[in-house]
Amino acid sequence: MIEAQDLSRRYDDFTAVDGITFSVAEGEILGMLGPNGAGKTTTIRMITGFLPPSGGTVTVAGHDLFRDPEAARRQIGYLPENVALYPDMRVREYLAYRARLQHLSRRAGRDAIEEAMRRCLIDDVAEQIIGTLSKGYRQRVGLAAAILHDPAVLVLDEPTVGLDPRQIIAIRQLIREIGARRTLLLSTHILPEVEQLCNRVLIIDRGRLVAEGTPGELRRRAAGHPVVRVTFDNVSSDGLERLSTLDGVLAARTADAGSFELEHDGARDLRRDLFEMAVARGWTMVELYERKPSMEDIFVRLTTRDQAETADLSREATRARIEAHDELQRRRADELSRRRAAEAEAGAYEDEDTVPDPAQDNEDDGRQS
Amino acid sequence: MNGLLATFERELRAYFVSPLAWIILTGFLFVQGVVFGYIAWVLLGDPMSAGRVAPLSIFFGGFFFWPIMLFVAPILTMRLLAEERRSGTIEMLMTAPVSEAGVVVGKYLAVVVLWLFLWLPTLVYALVLDYHGDVDWGPVASSYLGVILIGALFLAIGLFASSLTRNQIIAAVITFAFLLLLVLSVVGAFLARDPVVQEILGYVNVVQHMDELGRGIVDTRRLVFYLSTIGFFLFLTTRALAARKWR
Repeated sequence: MIEAQDLSRRYDDFTAVDGITFSVAEGEILGMLGPNGAGKTTTIRMITGFLPPSGGTVTVAGHDLFRDPEAARRQIGYLPENVALYPDMRVREYLAYRARLQHLSRRAGRDAIEEAMRRCLIDDVAEQIIGTLSKGYRQRVGLAAAILHDPAVLVLDEPTVGLDPRQIIAIRQLIREIGARRTLLLSTHILPEVEQLCNRVLIIDRGRLVAEGTPGELRRRAAGHPVVRVTFDNVSSDGLERLSTLDGVLAARTADAGSFELEHDGARDLRRDLFEMAVARGWTMVELYERKPSMEDIFVRLTTRDQAETADLSREATRARIEAHDELQRRRADELSRRRAAEAEAGAYEDEDTVPDPAQDNEDDGRQS
Repeated sequence: MNGLLATFERELRAYFVSPLAWIILTGFLFVQGVVFGYIAWVLLGDPMSAGRVAPLSIFFGGFFFWPIMLFVAPILTMRLLAEERRSGTIEMLMTAPVSEAGVVVGKYLAVVVLWLFLWLPTLVYALVLDYHGDVDWGPVASSYLGVILIGALFLAIGLFASSLTRNQIIAAVITFAFLLLLVLSVVGAFLARDPVVQEILGYVNVVQHMDELGRGIVDTRRLVFYLSTIGFFLFLTTRALAARKWR
């Protein structure tokens, strides 16, 4: 449904998106994952036709987005990252306007509005002025407007940001419902969301596609060898030695007093052997599980600069990885502010007041200290 | 021109549900009423000029006419596109299956209709004069043509300025400065010695155009100038909207 070929976007000397190629198949829910400032929103804006790319092409349902923009846009329903509505309009009035922009006839528009309001659970605020609505309602009004014309592809940029947990559940439920019938491209940085909703995931970092696959595939790829963790109550002192002689065990280490982590080749289920060994030795087993890497692990591995390092699952390594992640977030924040500055320069008539002023910040700090 | 009608309707409605249109209309009619009353009062006290000077020709193109034109046009146009950019609704608008030209022309027509709506009540003055004496309707009609043409040009310039920034105040100031320059070209035409410069300034000299129209002279060159310049600014606005360099 969506074909993006070698898409890139440059702002002067900053490259926000650098040659991303991907496609979304019909009926698929594709998740786009990446840290803040990775280029997700820029990519989405190019796919929806808001931002012209510096290079590459986009085809939506067979229509080239740049040669035939109106036909291509007709196929897309888009919920931008910051849902911007006209605060002085009533909900129904706004949806009627959006229906007209989509060239729905008045009658078809009326039916579509009722249907969309019902599905997005906003029929109780139909006559309210948008400016008085809460963030959660506004998000749902935006979503209702995006699905009005029953688009072939729905593009959602961080649809659950800023919602309370109950609203998040409601929106996810709705996304799942729509996803059952329609093609969906979903950008998010919330990892469980991807696991819950998406058939396939793209991971974007620094404007590049760093990984692609189903959540399961990505997990397998990132995991390296499976690891089993086992804890005994009364293990003998030669426990570690014994465990490392088990068939298929590649490496064994002590994780805690009485706890071991065994990396194995995955050829057979190690848990069975462990149980038998424990019985034979008279050790009391109190814990046994196979560690599956979470989406967080995959994400951090793929978006951390040094990807070559193999998974080391000991505690120290985990702590180090958390630190690396924090470091990454800091770098990300730096890069984001640099990128903002670059973009402010790129937009020739950009307002000064939207750009964070570092001098101002320093001044504030000075006053506080 | 997809999206023209939808944008036009929304924009017109937005003017009338916000206090802006009503405040401007009230202020506009108050000032116009005072100006008209003043003109009538002065002429009443001066029997010599009675019958020789048409009160409406002073009303259009008089001392108060240009300041009103200069202030009202920027205020009406400043929010048209700047506001959409500031709030981010432009992203929704430009990803809908509509053309830039449709959006620009729709917004432009909405503000032109509002402009007509502002001037409509001033027809009452002509009717009042007609009741008490004779009104030469030819010059009155051409005066209104001038108000519409010059207003339409000013609004096109204002719309273009609004497409350049996300700050309404900046849009209004750019428009005001540009319009002031246009109006002050009358001074330039007065001071210029070079006939070529005079000729060129004559084309953009809106004050002189209004003066001509006020006396009932309708020059097709002027019509062509206004219509083509309006078209040019609308085209520039469309290009500015399509450039979309902003975030």
